[in-house]
Amino acid sequence: MSHATHTIPTLRETYRRMLMAAGSEAPAVRRMLALFALGAVAQGLAFACFFPLLRALLAEPADLTQAWIWLGVMVAATVADLILGWLGHGFEYGGAIADVTHDLRRRLGRQLRQMPMQALARWRTGDLGAVLGGSIDEAVAPMGTLSHVIIRMLVVPLVVIAVTLAIDARMALAMAVIVPMAVPIYRWQRRASGQERRDVAEAHGRTESDIVEYTQGLAVLRTLGQTGAKAQRLQESLAHLREVQAKALMAGLWPALLMAGLVEIGLLVVLALGGTWVTQGTLSLAAFAAMLVIVMRFSEPLALFSELTKVFDLMEVALQRMDQVLAVAPLPVTAPAQPPSDHDIAFDGVTFAYEGENAPALKDVSFHLPARSLTALVGPSGSGKTTVTRLIMRFADPRAGTVRIGGADIRSLSSDALAARLSVVFQDVYLFDDTILENIRMGRPDADDAAVVAAAQAANCHDFIRRLPDGYATRVGDIGGSLSGGERQRISIARAILKDAPIVILDEPTAALDTESERAVQKAIDALVRERTVLVIAHRLSTVVGADRILVFDDGRLVEMADHRSLLEAGGRYAALWTAQLRSKAWHAAPVPADV
Amino acid sequence: MDMGSSASVAERKTAAAAAAASAPAAPKALRRGLWGIIDPVRGAIWLAMAMAGLGMVCAIVGVAALAGVLECLRSGALTLPLLGPLDVWGFGLLAGGLIVASLVLRVLSFVVSHLGAFRLEQRLRTDLAAHLAQVPLGYVITAGTGALTKTLQDDVKSLHAFVADSTPLFGRNVAAPVVTLVLLFLIDWWLALVALGVFIAGMAAMRLAMRDYAVLRQRYDRAREAIQAAVIEFVQAMAVVRMFDGGSASFRRYNTALLTFRGIFKTWVQATGTAARITLAVLSPMPTLLAVSAAGIVLHGQGLIGFPALVAVLMLSTGIADALMPLMWMNEFLHRARAGAMRVQDVMDVPVLPTPTQPAAPGDASVEFEAVRFRYPDRTDVALDDLSFIVPPGTVTALVGPSGAGKSTVARLIPRFWDVAGGAVRIGGVDVRACSPEVLMHHVSFVFQDTFLFHDSIASNIRMARPDATDAEVEAAARAAQAHDFITALPQGYDTIAGDRGTRLSGGQRQRITIARAILRDAPILVLDEATAFADPENEALIVAALANLMRGKTVIVIAHRLSTIRDADQIVVLDQGRMAERGTHDALVASDGVYARLWRTHEAAQGWILRSDASETAPGDTP
Repeated sequence: MSHATHTIPTLRETYRRMLMAAGSEAPAVRRMLALFALGAVAQGLAFACFFPLLRALLAEPADLTQAWIWLGVMVAATVADLILGWLGHGFEYGGAIADVTHDLRRRLGRQLRQMPMQALARWRTGDLGAVLGGSIDEAVAPMGTLSHVIIRMLVVPLVVIAVTLAIDARMALAMAVIVPMAVPIYRWQRRASGQERRDVAEAHGRTESDIVEYTQGLAVLRTLGQTGAKAQRLQESLAHLREVQAKALMAGLWPALLMAGLVEIGLLVVLALGGTWVTQGTLSLAAFAAMLVIVMRFSEPLALFSELTKVFDLMEVALQRMDQVLAVAPLPVTAPAQPPSDHDIAFDGVTFAYEGENAPALKDVSFHLPARSLTALVGPSGSGKTTVTRLIMRFADPRAGTVRIGGADIRSLSSDALAARLSVVFQDVYLFDDTILENIRMGRPDADDAAVVAAAQAANCHDFIRRLPDGYATRVGDIGGSLSGGERQRISIARAILKDAPIVILDEPTAALDTESERAVQKAIDALVRERTVLVIAHRLSTVVGADRILVFDDGRLVEMADHRSLLEAGGRYAALWTAQLRSKAWHAAPVPADV
Repeated sequence: MDMGSSASVAERKTAAAAAAASAPAAPKALRRGLWGIIDPVRGAIWLAMAMAGLGMVCAIVGVAALAGVLECLRSGALTLPLLGPLDVWGFGLLAGGLIVASLVLRVLSFVVSHLGAFRLEQRLRTDLAAHLAQVPLGYVITAGTGALTKTLQDDVKSLHAFVADSTPLFGRNVAAPVVTLVLLFLIDWWLALVALGVFIAGMAAMRLAMRDYAVLRQRYDRAREAIQAAVIEFVQAMAVVRMFDGGSASFRRYNTALLTFRGIFKTWVQATGTAARITLAVLSPMPTLLAVSAAGIVLHGQGLIGFPALVAVLMLSTGIADALMPLMWMNEFLHRARAGAMRVQDVMDVPVLPTPTQPAAPGDASVEFEAVRFRYPDRTDVALDDLSFIVPPGTVTALVGPSGAGKSTVARLIPRFWDVAGGAVRIGGVDVRACSPEVLMHHVSFVFQDTFLFHDSIASNIRMARPDATDAEVEAAARAAQAHDFITALPQGYDTIAGDRGTRLSGGQRQRITIARAILRDAPILVLDEATAFADPENEALIVAALANLMRGKTVIVIAHRLSTIRDADQIVVLDQGRMAERGTHDALVASDGVYARLWRTHEAAQGWILRSDASETAPGDTP
């Protein structure tokens, strides 16, 4: 999600985004900018003092009293500048910057909790991590320095030109001409650097995919001898990257050169004009000398200009990325028509298609699952089983039809109210870097230790937890990989048992486990599903023969719905799946003679 | 582009100050890691730095020439040591020429350093890729493709940023103060001393204020790592935990981390704030200009200095402090580049797998483990201990045992993902360490749980196993692997692009393509690692049929979690905690009532599990 915009942001836009990012600290940002602007005016005036100061020195005889007076004024202006700058930097060094990053992370964090899960799935985990982790700093950190430098670059010359106007109008006009000429070059440069960044980013993307492919496919590539310099695909994309980089470098060179040339040579021309006027006797030598001293100060920030643009771009991109996350609207919660009366689940004419896909994942699906019944979802991969469970979790809203829990449309439930009714056991378990006790307690934060232990016992994990170095106080991070998949799964089931939600969704929780873990997890699940409304996705059909009802999906449609016995008798899709599975079960890895 | 600015400004500014304060010490510490890594483009770097430095000299001398203009305006002409007498226009042209030259040199240095950086990127990535192909594959697996990709991509990129942007700055910043000081002393050493005095006073004050920098910086870095970890945890857990409690528990954890960070961040900026603000004030041009002006008025009043000299000093004197400003950008580059260089070096330091000078060829398709001992690097416990067994050619051996028993380790030692610590692994009577890597890879095929397809056509993905195979042979392999039908049903058939960025294929379909690859390879020894675990019922039946074709006539070593699939193996090796617990056929092992018998009973119970909402009864055959 790191596409830069195609337009060049104006300073005004960036200013607006900065204030947006600053949130409740926006007044502090405005104050900082105002202080910097005032400081820059003071600095411009301090520079301007060189005119009278040098005139006093050059007078015949030198007017030292005047010189000291003007030096005094200069000191006063400088002190004012330093004080204003000191106060302005208070935004950073006073700690407001810490509040801004803090608030932004909180805002983005809250947004992640309430954005539709389908929208959440648009970002890769790493990208979101980068937005919350890095982008915020990239956006906020340069605010102080960058605005300080930019304001100085804009304001100081203006003040100097204004003062020069009073001393020598020709000189002031000559300087003022440079500014309008710089604007189109500046825009050209920004556009070129934007294009350059996009091309290079694209080439980097390609190298990255090829590097991933190379490391993942190394075992295969080794057998083919296509490694290192002989890895054709990788070498191609590395060469391509270098080519694009070089091209981008050259493309960006001209505007940068022109910009630097314009400013430095422009200033030289101004000085040459000044020199000519001095020889003609129409400009005082003192005024010319003052010009020399002051103009030298202008080229310093300009030398930093290209570096500055980069930081500026980075800040822009970071702000845009945060904007993208913050712009996602949460799923609307309608006024509740009626609170859920029970825990039965009903789909009524539900059609749903994933974002960016035309083919619906579910087509006009209707069913009713009574409270405290066990339902299995069965069908080939991609047939819509997982989508059904996702819609119950309100991953996204259906295009047509309604999903109801206890008679209430789930769109009328707040996300907390919905979450409180559901327990989900996924294939992949997420454990926090915290103690085992806290990881289980997460299911119900107000549960006491005894309740947590009871849940662990019910989930068949009390024994292995006690064998850990610090028992329940063992930190997951400390033992990391040494928890097996089955053990992690049982901890997640303990969480679900502690949560005690009336509806339980199981998404193939034992598919990836070895036999012993599988059996232990099965026992834990037995404890979890008692007296609940249960939905289970299972590949092994033998597991779900005891279900009250089996829903058979094919290509997004609900094709059959009955119990195991009736479905077998019907001889339809389910019966075919059942036969296929029996056949593969009969397979044994026996030696096969070569000539069969 | 890749300007480093994830660190705070406060940090950068104070870091710049510290870098300035401890400038002589920093490069020495770097030399081994960073400078060693960028050595291949040493020439470009020196050239870029020299041109940048020279450009700076031109710029500064150009400014001095402008002062010459002023002198000539007063007194007509001035005679220079080498150039002879120059008038106003002479000095004007000299100044203009020097300033244009500095501009050109700056741009050239920029181009040279960037081209060098591009070359370095390509070179380092190629070297790293080549090195990864020679280290134990086990290293690649344990280090993880994610971490290795990060090193090959991001760490190399941070080195790019350093070479491209920092080296010219470095040249400029060395040249600027030196040339400025020399010129100042040439013009008027009283004023030069005043300018230097202001600078030194500022540096001294800063140094005094920066005493706690290292400690604070360390604390801040740690806090940043913590916040990074908290962010990743929060984001990763989001999809999974949100259904639990609307994500409020994880948000609480996230928020706690945020609060801690805010505290430390605030302390850091406030503690270094004074130092940083003093630094900013001193490095700003006004204090130097004021001091020089004051001294200038005194000296001028006593007739000790000419007016043009005073103006020249006013123009030049701030150059010393100015040169320090870009250091605040540079330090961040250095920081990242050093970390990147370290990680690149870590990968390059992994020893390569020794290859035999006179490779031997395996005699037949047997596999033998003789008293094999093995321990994973960075682990204290032994993964395999004194393990011996023989797999005769054309037979099937199953590896069984609880998770962590060492089954996968056995499979990985055969293709030399790792080398044994003791004993030997032999194929066809030859120690695998005595085979050339190519021969070994041709004798052994693998089908793993995680299938890997390249971003290329399906035909190429299969043909990869044997580049000279004809289309007919590829298709025959696909048929045998039960993949032909689904492949031809795809819009582009065998030309469909597969891989992560290609057409979405189901796990079972990907699995069958890798089986087709193995069939085409036709290696005499086959290692299967739980090849059917993730398949759905229909795919499972097809994969089973594909595997039966693949196994025909081969020596097979199979790791299976589901015991029913290996009942008929010629030999079952039961592992427990890295040792062989039992060995024999299914029937014999069940009869002996040992580890395997227990596993088998558990397996039967798991197979018989029936999910019920009133699950009061236990599954049949369950052992309590």
